[in-house]
This record gives sequence, structure tokens and C-alpha cells, in this order.
Amino acid sequence: MHSQAVGPKILAFVGEKWASIFLLILVVVFSMVGKNFFAVKNFSNILYFATTYALLAVGETFVIVTGGIDLSVGFVMGFVGVTASIVMRDMLAAGNSQTVCMIVGTLVGLAAGVLPGLINGYLVARLRVPPFIATLGMYGVANGLALNLSQGFPIYFLPPRVQEIGNSFVAYLLPGRAFTFFERPPNLQPGDLRNLIGIIPGTVLVVAVILLLSMFLLKRTRFGQHTYAIGGSKDAAIRSGINVPRHLMWIYVLSSVFASFAGIIYVFRIGLGNFTTFSSSYELFAIAGVVIGGASLMGGRGTLGGAIIGVLILNTLENGLNIVGIPAFYRYIATGLILIAAVVIDQFTPERRSAGA
Amino acid sequence: MPETVLAARRRSGTALWMGRNWALLFLVLEVAAFILLGTNFYSLENLQNIFVACLPMLMLGMGQTFVIITGGIDLSVGFVMGFGAVICAKFMVILQAAGLPPSASIPLAALICIAIGVIPGLVNGTLVARLKVPPFLATFGMYGIAYGVSELVSENTPISGLPAEAGLIGNEYIFYVIPRKLFSFLVRPENASPADLRVMLSIIPTIVVIAFIFVIVFAFILRRTRFGQHNYAIGGNVDAAVRSGINVPRHLTWVYIISAFFASLSGILYALKYVTGRADAGSARMLDSVVAVVIGGASLYGGTGNVKGTIIGALIIATLETGMVNLGVPSHNRYIAIGLILVIAVLIDQFFPELVGKGE
Amino acid sequence: MKRVLGLVLILVLVGASFGFATPSQEKKQLTFAYMSGILDPFMIMIEKGARAKATELGVNMIVAEYPKAWGPEHQVPILEAMVAKGGFDFLMVVPTSTQGLIAPLKKISDKGIPMITCDTYLGDGDYNKSSNYSFPLAYIGTDNEGGGYEVGKKLAEMIGGSGKVYINSTNPDVSSVNGRRDGALRAFKEYPNIEVVGVDYNLDNQDKAQAQTAAVLQANPDLKGVFGTNLFSAQGAYRAVVNAGLTGAVKIASWDAGLDQIAALKAGQIDFTLAQKPFEIGQLAVEWGVKYLKDKSTKIPNKMLRPGYVIFTKDNVDDPDMQQWIYK
Repeated sequence: MHSQAVGPKILAFVGEKWASIFLLILVVVFSMVGKNFFAVKNFSNILYFATTYALLAVGETFVIVTGGIDLSVGFVMGFVGVTASIVMRDMLAAGNSQTVCMIVGTLVGLAAGVLPGLINGYLVARLRVPPFIATLGMYGVANGLALNLSQGFPIYFLPPRVQEIGNSFVAYLLPGRAFTFFERPPNLQPGDLRNLIGIIPGTVLVVAVILLLSMFLLKRTRFGQHTYAIGGSKDAAIRSGINVPRHLMWIYVLSSVFASFAGIIYVFRIGLGNFTTFSSSYELFAIAGVVIGGASLMGGRGTLGGAIIGVLILNTLENGLNIVGIPAFYRYIATGLILIAAVVIDQFTPERRSAGA
Repeated sequence: MPETVLAARRRSGTALWMGRNWALLFLVLEVAAFILLGTNFYSLENLQNIFVACLPMLMLGMGQTFVIITGGIDLSVGFVMGFGAVICAKFMVILQAAGLPPSASIPLAALICIAIGVIPGLVNGTLVARLKVPPFLATFGMYGIAYGVSELVSENTPISGLPAEAGLIGNEYIFYVIPRKLFSFLVRPENASPADLRVMLSIIPTIVVIAFIFVIVFAFILRRTRFGQHNYAIGGNVDAAVRSGINVPRHLTWVYIISAFFASLSGILYALKYVTGRADAGSARMLDSVVAVVIGGASLYGGTGNVKGTIIGALIIATLETGMVNLGVPSHNRYIAIGLILVIAVLIDQFFPELVGKGE
Repeated sequence: MKRVLGLVLILVLVGASFGFATPSQEKKQLTFAYMSGILDPFMIMIEKGARAKATELGVNMIVAEYPKAWGPEHQVPILEAMVAKGGFDFLMVVPTSTQGLIAPLKKISDKGIPMITCDTYLGDGDYNKSSNYSFPLAYIGTDNEGGGYEVGKKLAEMIGGSGKVYINSTNPDVSSVNGRRDGALRAFKEYPNIEVVGVDYNLDNQDKAQAQTAAVLQANPDLKGVFGTNLFSAQGAYRAVVNAGLTGAVKIASWDAGLDQIAALKAGQIDFTLAQKPFEIGQLAVEWGVKYLKDKSTKIPNKMLRPGYVIFTKDNVDDPDMQQWIYK
């Protein structure tokens, strides 16, 4: 009788936490099969490249929990990146100090990024356009604007410190020799470069902070509760007094703002501004991450923690496959399979209800 | 209640017709605008080019129409098209190398392509209909898988070595006329002098004819067969459909198979036109297919939409692209334009639901 | 009733279009059209070279829209729309597919418009023998394979003839880039102690190039050389190396000389880059085109012209006579 109770419980546990378990399995397998996969430098790399997807996934989670979707985030990211870099480049050419350029550029970029969110929100909340269409339309407009601003070219000649900051680490370790914060150890010999270990990329720290704040927002504030309520049942939410149209506006603006952050981080990381090319599919990978993490496209379910795990799964997969030497297109197949598996597992473990968890 | 009926009658027939066919009107105005503003827009060659250019969107849109009417969506069509292009091209090469003449290798390759190309549709359908996976996710998963497998099969390189005759079918016309001299059917006139070639008129691209045969057949299926009726029924209200005895899971599976069929067909047409097969042949057209269907009057919630609308939607997009090149307007503005048209299409849907006919 | 009206309208339109054949105007001034392959500094330089020569010779130029992505399905619709618009006597084109552009270009050739293919070619590039792609006047382009070989050799020498190297390329289906890759691989084969750890394709996305190179660096910390086969590949690769803090420890070879690459060369982030001569390609195309239009018996030797290339290194990047080869 005892074993009867344990069996289903284990199954329920696995079903609920399967994403985290899968991530763990991935890490273990790649560590065994791949050379130097299990290294601080590599994990740093994974996190470092995952930051943009993570930010997009955060914004997307808010939207998906309300039962909507935001397809424009990838292109808003490119649009903001282009805007911010143009400002930085022109201000630098006009003789301003690097710091001023960077701050103003970032602020202008973020401000510009609010606009698509407002439009999306207005279309969805007030004009009741289905989110898929509204954000699809915005996707086109954002991309067109980005292309117009950049004329199809990357924006070069940004302040050099931009890339330095984007690629800096919180701490540096030269094994057996030096340990510094925020700056490289002085007097590096050429051979040392290969042994230098950067601990926690600066951008990862920034994103982690943003993430924690968002988690707080979603889990512990009334705003977060309302978000789940709307996703659960719009009518019930209205009846309980929530100003649904206004709330939805905020949700889409939030999504755009996170996409803007992603765009800024991208600029700092690459050191140039670039519009998003079509084959990047950033938004689809962000959405996949959110869904793999446990959200339902119908709304009402999903957590940020899950979304991040989903994003990490996808990024670890790409990194791992690269290191093991498997050609890139397998990553697509793998992503597709995992996604489908995610949803199917979801179907078969109905106990996995985590509204507001 | 009676007042609304009277009010509806009072709305004049023309206004009603205009509201219902706003997309067609838009297309006509669009063409007129480009003729006025552009150079040589109104020519046999250019107008035919538009029809050829609209084919990818139309083909993908055909399948998408069926799917969207049932309230679903198929995100895999772009890469199933690439998959189809790659498989078709690959088999043409293999069969040719095996010694088959082009008249056999090309049709055979096409058939094999369709046979294999509907597998993604089968998988999508099963996931959606039987495993209850939301269409968005099921087809997105398939998108990735189709892309990966296409790259695998093509080894990341566009396939070359196809029989030259494939290019002939893909680029030739039904009629050739050298004014006052010659009229040729299906093949370019042999031994025509360069001067003659210069004034030769090519009429009706073969590839358009092939595509439209399928379009017409499936338009008929959608409108006049029980399968079509069931399609609208499911889109309207799934429970009612189930209760009225429709085998919904089986029907939905077929719907996704149809979508994959058209995507593969589009891939075949690609292979014929460009004499090659590439995994990302259709990636740029995936969302265009949804746009075409929605402009044509379908609602993403299901229950509405028709082939005529999809054709118009595809033509609107193709005309826009051709017109922009003609005017020298950079193409990135086309994304802005299409985004706007899309939103307007839906807004019209929202605010004038009476105008958009259901299940025409 | 409305349907009948509609049908009549359509028939009228179609019928009218037959009679609408626009007569070609007698133009005193020749007009050249340029259809590029994709939007990047190299293709823009071809346009600049063409325009410069065109102005000199009193020729008009129209430039088709630059495709946003590489491929016949992106290029052909633009090309055909431009052709339907008409109004040009000669075409300079960068075919984005060796097979797929044959039929569309043949149609143009049949209309009596001669053409030259730049940077890439149709079929196998040999227009001298009889084939279905022998109609262009000539192919003008860099010897990608030869250049790739030189780059490979130079990189090999730079790392002392032994060690691990890596190639990061764009699309596996672009003839020019493949030539460079193959040339480099041929060079590397001559060094028994050099190991090619991989060839990756970033599909013209430098974020991907960066991520791919970073992963390769991770798996092969003793990597010594990287060859990025075009602007974007090189950018992504060198940023990965810079970010890994391995500038100087890993030698980077690049292709093309855009402003960003020259800046990177001066900053020591890349070690050398091969500059093609797109300006000259454009000039040559216009020059020979005009010659042909004036005298139809003009023949271009071997139907192929190779303008050559130069290599920029840190040593010569500031030389005044090297400045002309930068793409600006």
C-alpha cells in the first residue's frame, strides 16, 4: 500500500520538474562527452549568450500568462539596438565623452522601445485585435523602422568602452597568481591570457538583477496576481474589479521594455548596432523557452523560473552541440523535439498546476 | 431585434458589397496607384510577374486557409516548403543519375516529394487532434524539425545537378507569340532570330497554371464538399461539431496534411523555377501566408475565411513588392506597409463583423 | 450582375495589355542597370566603381534594390520587376545562384540586353564553351580560390606552420565564399602539422559567428588561427577572440576591407585581411559594356576578367597607396 502511494507521487514530481531535470541531464551528458564543456569559462559563455533570450523570455512570460503572445520582441530588440547605437555614434562624433554617449544612447533606446509596446497594448486591449495579429503587424513595422534607420548596415564606430563594458566580468582569476574585481589583473604575460578566468560576466549580473526584480513583480505584487487572474479567466478578472484593458496595456509595454533591454545588452555585447535578421527567430526561441518552462499558451500558468530554465535548456543545447562538434541544424531538430515533448508531458501530468506558484 | 434587421436592410447593397470585398477593392486601388505612379507597371510582362511572385504565398496560404478556419495555425509551412524543395530536388538528381529521362524523373520526384512531404502534416495533425497539443506549439516544433532535417538531407548546400528540363517547366509559358509570324504552344520557338525573340510575347507562365489547378480544386473542396462544410463547422464551434457526428480528430489530421501538401507543392514549384533545392526556400514566406489569409477575411479564432480571399491577399502582397521595386522604394518599407494592412484587415473584421461573410 | 461586370472588366484589362507594348524609346544616352547580390559594403563598392566609370563615359545608371538576403528567391523578383520596367541597355548582375539565375537571365538576354556577371558566375563560370549559360559577355570577379589559398598560406606561416586552425564561413551555398574556404583548406593541407578543427556556417549572422567561434575556442583552448571568410564572419570571430581575451594569442585572417575591419586591423584585433577590388570590378563592367554596345564584335579575352586583390596587414594599413583599396 505504501508503494502504491509513492509511485504516482514520484511521477508527479518528475512531471512537474521535468524541465530542470532535463537541464541537469543535458549538463551531465555534455560534460562527459564534450571537451571542456564543464568549465567556468564555458558556463560563463552559455550565460553570456543566453542573456538576450532570457530578457525576451521574461517579457514574453508576462504576456503569455495573460493568454496573449508577443511576436514583435525580436524586432523591437533590433530596432532599439539600432536607435541606441545611432545616438551613441553621433554623440561620440560630436565630441561628447564616452560615458555621456552611452548613458544618453541607452536612455533614448529604452524610451524608443516603449512605443511598440504602447501600440501593441492599445491594439490588443482597446481595439481587441488578437495578440498574434497585433504583434505580427508590429513586428513588420519595427523591422521596417530598424532597416530604415540603419539602411541595412550595422552601426559602427560606437564608443570603444561600450564593448569593454559589455564583455567585462565581475571578477577575474588568474589561477595561483591574481584575483581582481571588475578589472583585469595588471601585468599579464601573453601566455596568461589563455589561463585567465572571468567570473560572472557583467551583463549576466545586470540581467540577474532584472530577473529578480521581475520575479518579485510577478509573484509578490498585486500586479502579478492580476496578471494570472486575467490569464485564468478574463471575465472573472473583470468582475472582480480589475481594470483589464489598462493592465494589458502595461503588460505589452513591459514586454517591449524587456525587449529593449535585450537590445541594449546586445549592443554592449557586440559593440555595434544591428537590425534583427529574419533567420534569427529570437521571439520563437523565447516563446519556446517560456513554454518548455511550464507556461500554457492559454494563459493563467507559467513562472519566470521555468522560463529561465527553458531558455537555459535551449542555450546549453546549442553550446553543447557546438562543443561536441555536431552540426548546427541538429539544434533545430532537438529544439523542436524538446518543445513537443514539453507540451505532451504537460498533457499527461495534469497535477502540474502552478498558477501563481 | 427587428430594428437591427431593418437597419441592415437599410444599409445599401453597394456599401455592403464594398465592405465585404474591401480587400479586392484595395487590390484594385493598389494596382491603379502603381500604374499611375510607376513606369511601365501596366504591361503583360509585369502583371504576369506578379502572379508568379504571389505563388509561394498563395500555396502556403491555401493550406493555411484550411487550418485557420478550424481555429488553428500552421507555423511549419515555411520549412516544410524548404523540405519539399530539397526532397524534390534531391530525387530529381538521383533519378536522373539512375538513368531515367526527365519526362519520368521530374514527375516521379514530385510524387515522392508529396508522399514524404505530407509526413510533417501527419505528425502535426496527430499532435493537434489526438494529443491535444496547441497548434502553435505543435507546428512550431515541426518547424524546427523540418528545418533540421532539410539541412541534413541537403548537407547544408543547395542541391545542384537537376535536369535542365525542370527549369524549362518552371520558367516557360503556355503560349509564345511572335506578332504576325508565329504562334507556339508550350515550347519556345526554335530557330527564332534574335530580332524575333526581342518582340516575342510570352503568355501565361506554366508554373502559374500548375498552381492554379490545385487552387481551384481545393477551393471547390472547401466550398462545395462536406469536408469543407465540416471544416467551417469545427471552426465555428468544436463541441457542436462533435455532437453533430463529425469525426473531429480525423478531420483535423487531414487538415494539417493538406497544409503540408501545399507546402510541399510550393517546394516543388520552387525547385522547378530555380532549378535547385534549399532548406530555407520558404523561410521568408511563412508569416506572409498567415497575412494573406487574414487579409482575405479569415479570423484567427476560426470559422471564417475562403480561398478567394487568400488569393487576393497573396496578390496584394505580391503587387506591393513588385510595385515598390518599380518605384524604387526600399523594400524595408514593405514590412511597415504589410504590418499596417494586416492590422487594418483585422480592425475591419472587428468593427464590421456583419460585413465579413461567414463560410462563403 | 456584379460578377459579369467584374469579368468584363478583367477581360478588357487583359485585352488592353496586349496592345500596351511600350515601344523602346530611342535614347541617345546609354543606360546600365546593376543588380547586386546582397546589401554589403563590397556590393556597394561595385556600384561606386560602376558609377564612376559611367559618369566618365557619359552613361546613365540605374541600380536595382539590394536584396536583404542571399538567394534567387530574393533576387529574381527584384530583377524581373526591374526588367519589366525596362529602360536599360546593359545589365551588370551578381547572380545569387549558379543554376537558378540561368533561366531569368536568359530571358533578359533574349530581349537583346547583353550582360556581364560580377563577383559570382552562372554554371561553372566558363562562358566560352557551348552550354545553356554561355550567353553573358563575361565574368568579372576575384579569384576566390586563389585568394583563399594565399590567405591560408599566410595564416599557416603566421602560426609557425603548425597548430589548430578554424574556418568560419557564411553560407554553404555561395560560390565565392566556398572558393575561399576551399582555397584555404588546400593551403592548410600542405602543412602536415596543421589541424583544421572545423568549418562552421553562420548564415551571415555575426552573433552566430561569435557564438560559434567562442564554442570552438572553448573546446580547443590551444587554437592558433581563425579565418573568417567575409565581413560578418570575421567580425564575429574576432569579437569572440577579443572577448575571450585571446587577442594576440590567436591569429585572425579576414576577407574584405570594410571600414570596421580596417579599424580592427589597426587596433590589432585582426592580423590581416584580403581586399578584393570591387571598385575595379564595377569600372571594368561598365567599360567593357560600353565598348560592346558601340561595337558588337568586341570580345572579352576568355570571357573572364580577374582584377586581383591585395592583402592588408598591420604594416601596410597606413600606407597612402593602400588606402584606395579600402571599401569606402
